[in-house]
Amino acid sequence: MNEYLHERARQLLAESVVEGLRPADEAWLREHLAACPDCSQEAAATQNVLRALRAVPVSVPRDLAARTQLRVRLRAQQTSPAANGTFWLWAVTAASWLLGVFSAPLVWRGFAWLGANFGVPKLALEFGFILWWTVPPLLAGAIILHQKALTAEWSNKN
Amino acid sequence: MTDDTHALATGLRQRDPDLLDRLIEQYQQRLYRYLLFLTGNPSLAEDLFQETWIRVLERGSQYNGKSKFESWLFAIARNLVIDASRRKKVSSLEDLGDPDSNTPYDPPDERAASVLQMLVTRENEQIVQLSLLKIPAYYREVLLLRFSEELGLEEIAAVMATPISTVKSRLYRGLTALKTVMTEGAV
Repeated sequence: MNEYLHERARQLLAESVVEGLRPADEAWLREHLAACPDCSQEAAATQNVLRALRAVPVSVPRDLAARTQLRVRLRAQQTSPAANGTFWLWAVTAASWLLGVFSAPLVWRGFAWLGANFGVPKLALEFGFILWWTVPPLLAGAIILHQKALTAEWSNKN
Repeated sequence: MTDDTHALATGLRQRDPDLLDRLIEQYQQRLYRYLLFLTGNPSLAEDLFQETWIRVLERGSQYNGKSKFESWLFAIARNLVIDASRRKKVSSLEDLGDPDSNTPYDPPDERAASVLQMLVTRENEQIVQLSLLKIPAYYREVLLLRFSEELGLEEIAAVMATPISTVKSRLYRGLTALKTVMTEGAV
């Protein structure tokens, strides 16, 4: 048999496993393999290699999946939206504190006006002014509590 | 986009822990095998396995559901293998990107091969599997993706970020290289 035919058969064999064959080429190859023991042996060897490749049995370490799941959950918890809220907590606290500082003179004047025009007792005015200064920590406390609630919810879900 | 991949993309975007647990279970064998044969080093393969899933968690929003999940997963794993090979000299991670370079192939060390051999359980297939370790990683990778993972040519091209023509040529050359190693009885 012509060597060119064997070469073509080998090329088609490779093509058949990599990208598939056109029906005409497939028919030609089938016919050639039926008549050529050498190429038929080559085809069988190729199929053996592919079978082994398809069934590469590897033992996954017993607890690898479990360890990975745990690590992923921990990372998820660390980077949860609740954990990321720290920046906003600081931002809101800083903003409210600045607001308190810069508005203090105005608030003081406002309280003095109230006292002069409505006869509000001095003690009540002082209490109101102190309350004004406690707004930032109260706000921050509320946010922290809210965050803790979010974290607890996330942990329960995980 | 199918309903399944859409649900998967949504779950990954929401960092759904139960979904991630299921995916880790489902893909553990395939991903570990891919990493093990790519690195030839069980310990490194374990580290990269875990890192891959951390990346899936952190970059889940980047999966758009238009491609197969496994293609995306293997692409992440592949990038981590390349990063690892840059950080430290790993013998079987030579130049995954350029098979036409003149860099000679440095076969995996005997220790890695023997550890791997212990993990391979079926005797009849050992010849092929150990032969795999004797061929360059860029051939080994493409053969595994095509015939073990049964990815299509386009999917492999996506994993490797390379043209389909390159994938095909590596498959042809890889099959030839594998058969040559086996017939030479070099295992």
